Amino acid sequence: MSEVLTAPLVVEFPFTRSLGPVQSAFLTGLREGTVLGVRAGDGRIVVPPTEYDPVTAEETRELVEVAPAGTVTTWAWNPAPRRGQPLATPFAWVLVRLDGADTALLHALDAPGPDAVRTGMRVRIRWAAERTGAITDIACFEPHDQPPDEGQPAAHDGHFAAPVTGITTPARLDYTYAPGRAQSRYLQALGGRKTIGERCPSCRKVYVPPRGACPTCGVATDTQVEVGPRGTVTTFCIVNIKARNVDIEVPYVYAHIALDGADLALHARIGGIPYDQVRMGLRVEPVWTEDGRYPDHYRPTGEPDADYDSYKELI
Amino acid sequence: MPDPMREVAVVAFGQSDHVRDSAETSEVEMLMPVLHDVLGQAGLKARDIGFTCSGSSDYLAGRAFSFTMALDGVGAWPPIAESHVETDGAWALYEAWVKILTGEADTALVYAYGKSSPGDVREVLTRQLDPYYVAPLWPDSVALAALQAQALIDAGHTDERELARIAARSRTAAADNPHAQLTGSVPAGDYLVAPLRAGDCPPVSDGAAAVVLAAGDTARRLTDRPAWIRGIDHRIEAHSLGVRDLAASPSTRLAAERAGYFEHPVDTAELHAPFTSQEVVLRRALDLDGADTQVVVNPSGGALAANPVMAAGLIRIGEAADRIRRGASDRALAHATSGPCLQQNLVAVLEGES
Repeated sequence: MSEVLTAPLVVEFPFTRSLGPVQSAFLTGLREGTVLGVRAGDGRIVVPPTEYDPVTAEETRELVEVAPAGTVTTWAWNPAPRRGQPLATPFAWVLVRLDGADTALLHALDAPGPDAVRTGMRVRIRWAAERTGAITDIACFEPHDQPPDEGQPAAHDGHFAAPVTGITTPARLDYTYAPGRAQSRYLQALGGRKTIGERCPSCRKVYVPPRGACPTCGVATDTQVEVGPRGTVTTFCIVNIKARNVDIEVPYVYAHIALDGADLALHARIGGIPYDQVRMGLRVEPVWTEDGRYPDHYRPTGEPDADYDSYKELI
Repeated sequence: MPDPMREVAVVAFGQSDHVRDSAETSEVEMLMPVLHDVLGQAGLKARDIGFTCSGSSDYLAGRAFSFTMALDGVGAWPPIAESHVETDGAWALYEAWVKILTGEADTALVYAYGKSSPGDVREVLTRQLDPYYVAPLWPDSVALAALQAQALIDAGHTDERELARIAARSRTAAADNPHAQLTGSVPAGDYLVAPLRAGDCPPVSDGAAAVVLAAGDTARRLTDRPAWIRGIDHRIEAHSLGVRDLAASPSTRLAAERAGYFEHPVDTAELHAPFTSQEVVLRRALDLDGADTQVVVNPSGGALAANPVMAAGLIRIGEAADRIRRGASDRALAHATSGPCLQQNLVAVLEGES
């Protein structure tokens, strides 16, 4: 059995999200150093505030200002901070009920060690030096020695100059991609400039690239079969829009190609021929670059076009 | 709940061996033997199945549309009636149960799989959180479970010694489970996020599971002792952690009431509690700690012994059903959860026929 391949894979996406009126007021408030909550149907002050009542799902609109200090309702000591978390040194995750609020907000507490943290301890917000209107405008919480402010939270109209109406949140996840047995065999053969399909033991079809199972029969493909290198264009399209990070001049042709011996067409770019002369039935062969692990593109072989009946089942 | 028009039963259950890293197989290569196993148990071919439903998440392995590739293992041609949920397969089973109740299908194939090994599952699961106020802080799944554990300790509902006993009991039980990943004597280890130690947390697992459901006499024909789903319900709590009482699980209790759990005692409970502290929450919600209760909890070892995310809840239903099918249980509860700190909970009550 051949060695299983792996490769690093990074999935990265900046999510851009619009804010509702309550979220907008709350995050803009953070930018201005003001913490807002919202009154729920049962009279509770919800912080961080939601657009909808957590119990009845009614719209919530009545904003109030709560204190930037509060009480820890539960905590967890994090000895090994991970990427993206609020602090780079060991810290406590905390749920904090700010004075004037009835619910708790999740954040980090900067404390020297777990012995310095307990449920019920007093903490206050440490504001980030630069604030943009995001939950990270709270850098973290820090211990605080003032008793709770017993006053009722004051109403707030939620109006600020230049309100934040959206947030962009970058997200990145790192993977070690492993394609599995069948695709590893395929990719390894491709490194030697051979194209290997796999045959279904039930319907006898040869799949290229193989994915390990016959999608018609639901059984493992069990026999490796070398196919190609030549093939037939079964259908194609003309690409007129340049893709980002792809260094190919438009227009160009992207085609389905049934390699000789394969029962499933793979897809690849067609080169070596003007785009407007590509046609169904065109016979093509792979073109390899010097260190490429897969064909750069396919080009015409010069053979006569294939008869339609020879590939019509593969369109 | 009103009596359903049709009786629906689990007639087959299968699962892969759960492992830390299955890099040698793709999802479909991991799943396919399990599908063949359950269809073989039921004596059915894929084309005999009325409805197929799966549960998985592309985020786990970072593989877009992985569920469509997994369908290759079913044999979906000619086109089959098929659906997918982006959550634990227990919810796929719920959808299939509803489909059978409508009369549109007599049998259903339900499967689920999860490969956590390609990514960092603690980080991946942060992406399911509130994207405005919580996800930007990247609180990982262990951290959130630890906040819940501390809330339980503060409320006097448990302590670290009891949590260690839950871990030990689960992994001792798993010694009899050939598919389990973490069995026998497992050290408590260091704090991952205090108060949770490594031993309080589930292993990182790759694995798959599948169930065949059938209605009425079809079920009786396909297996000697079907595990009848007498009730099934799922409920969710507020998504903001700071709004919830983390030491309680009202959604589990409500789902259990709606599923008829409290009407008669059960002898077995398969609880989907990836963290030891979550078992404490569930025991309280389900009254499993009464003086006269003798319910066997997680004889499979539960998610502490193998935690293929997206399949671990479906496995609880399958394990409970298997105990009924082999006569070791007459009435069992199966529970599945999804989201941070037991946010959403499904309860099924299963019975054998005497």
